[in-house]
Amino acid sequence: MPLCLMENVKKSYKMDSQTIEVLRGINLSIEQGEFVAIMGTSGSGKTTLMNLLGCLDVPSAGRYVLADRDITNLSDDELSKIRNEYIGFIFQSFYLIPYATVIENVLLPTLYMDRHKDGSQKKALELLRMVGLQDRTRFKPAQLSGGEQQRVAIARAMINNPEILLADEPTGQLDSKTATEIMSLLVSMNKNGKTVLVVTHDPGIAGYASRVIQIKDGIII
Amino acid sequence: MKRFFHIIKHSFGTVTAFKLRTFFCLISVALGIASITIIVAATEGAYERAFEMVERFGPDSLIVIGGSEEARAVGQRDKTISLDDVEAVRQAFPSAYIVVPMSGTTVNVSYKDKKYRTRVTASTSDYSRAWSWPVIQGSDLTEEEVKGLRNVGLIGQDLLRELFGDEDPVGKYIFVKRIPFQIVGVLSERGTSPSGHSLDDRIVIPLTTYMRKIENQRIYISTFRVRFLDQSNLNKHVEELRAFLRQRHGIINDQPDDFRIISPQEIIKFLVALTGSLVAFIGVAGIICLVVAGFVLANLFLLSVKERTKEIGIRRSVGAKRKDILVQFWSEAVILTGAGGVLGFLLGVISSKLLVLIAEFPIHFSWRAFAIGLALSLLVGIVFGLQPASRAAQMNPVDALRG
Repeated sequence: MPLCLMENVKKSYKMDSQTIEVLRGINLSIEQGEFVAIMGTSGSGKTTLMNLLGCLDVPSAGRYVLADRDITNLSDDELSKIRNEYIGFIFQSFYLIPYATVIENVLLPTLYMDRHKDGSQKKALELLRMVGLQDRTRFKPAQLSGGEQQRVAIARAMINNPEILLADEPTGQLDSKTATEIMSLLVSMNKNGKTVLVVTHDPGIAGYASRVIQIKDGIII
Repeated sequence: MKRFFHIIKHSFGTVTAFKLRTFFCLISVALGIASITIIVAATEGAYERAFEMVERFGPDSLIVIGGSEEARAVGQRDKTISLDDVEAVRQAFPSAYIVVPMSGTTVNVSYKDKKYRTRVTASTSDYSRAWSWPVIQGSDLTEEEVKGLRNVGLIGQDLLRELFGDEDPVGKYIFVKRIPFQIVGVLSERGTSPSGHSLDDRIVIPLTTYMRKIENQRIYISTFRVRFLDQSNLNKHVEELRAFLRQRHGIINDQPDDFRIISPQEIIKFLVALTGSLVAFIGVAGIICLVVAGFVLANLFLLSVKERTKEIGIRRSVGAKRKDILVQFWSEAVILTGAGGVLGFLLGVISSKLLVLIAEFPIHFSWRAFAIGLALSLLVGIVFGLQPASRAAQMNPVDALRG
């Protein structure tokens, strides 16, 4: 069984009286340990696809199986639990909580674990050392550069040891040198066995992936 | 459950992060709670004062005052009660173990070259026992002194200070309405009456002496005091005594009493009424304050939820459930109002200290004032925090992330 399996997944939104179909039948299969780039221009539906893959949203039609669980008809609470345990998000604009310190941001997912584990603090420090921010644990996000903020976000994505890292334009707000650093961090995560999915419009970024999926007008081409 | 415990703990940190919001919420809740704290403390103080008064007055005592209630207002009571009435009451009520007639008026007294205006109280013997008011120097009025129309008197602490200073008064003579009286005893300090008069500003002389030599009559007295052995039947005795006196005075049907009976209950009523108006005023103000505080809180939190939409999205994306978000925002509100409650209590304590300075006002703080204040403040948080919190919880993750 693949880690992610989508069968004829559709997603439509109602806007006013119109129904806009963003995804029009996606068939997709991603194996454990792959590094996949999903490419497409803006408006192609790639972010919607990522939201579905990350269980932030549910398909309007079709079937999505993640780690042998059909998540198509799960409740909101169950989806939250899956996000907490299986998925680590990395966003374009980092999405750190501004009033919390670096270490608090990294620890955020542990707050929502069903069973609180000891040693989270130690794990967070370890991850921060791995991304090179061991000296910045008590800083606020605003005191960090963009690249540093994204590294905090990566540490946060990793804290609950997820199956998949989902990165939506992870280098979109970074200069090319920093972008390279972030991408090589993702590559090293992938080498350590994490499945990595990067959504991007940048062919340079897609170049890091072992497989590129092109999406246009809501279907994979 | 442990999960919520961690989230609530987390909320303490969040509360301190949004300083301006925290400040306004704290102030508005604190003002409401402060006034409510004062009310509770004032009410408790009033009751405490009332029971103190009753204790002093004698919980088994009644006072019958001559003259109708209307006349009381002018301050000039008619003399309607006679010594015969008192004797009849003593005969008719076997459980009345003390029945003491009294009169009194305001007079000029002088000692050497010092002049002073004070109240003269005319009593039978054993004044000290009848009023549970110890004589700390010299001795009480004796039966012989009363029967013999002797010119003797007991003086209160105020009079002692005014006329004698540090001098020993016992055995000295002072003039009351130009008649010499020998001081035989000094009463202990008694404090002020409910209406604020000093009880220590007085001279006590034999009733017989007073009636003959100062009032020039031998029939009427102004009041008398009755103490009953069976304290539990006091209310019944009030009615019996009223009926008895009405009959003796020939008052029929709906004609008003020509006397007035004061019972401990009436003292309590009087004191509570005294405090009541202020309590009502602060009470209304306090409730309004709390409701306003609630709306301030709800609005600031709605604004805050809107501002923190992205944060909600982030939390949802890392696995927060709807109820986690609800618990977070709700507990933030309750923590805030709870802190406001504690602050308000302190504010109440301070401002009531000022209130006591401005006006002689009984205030008593107890754990109850604190508990009521805290409970009310938490209630404000619970009631007014729910709506913003559930709005935060209702957002779906994708929309929230988009901001």
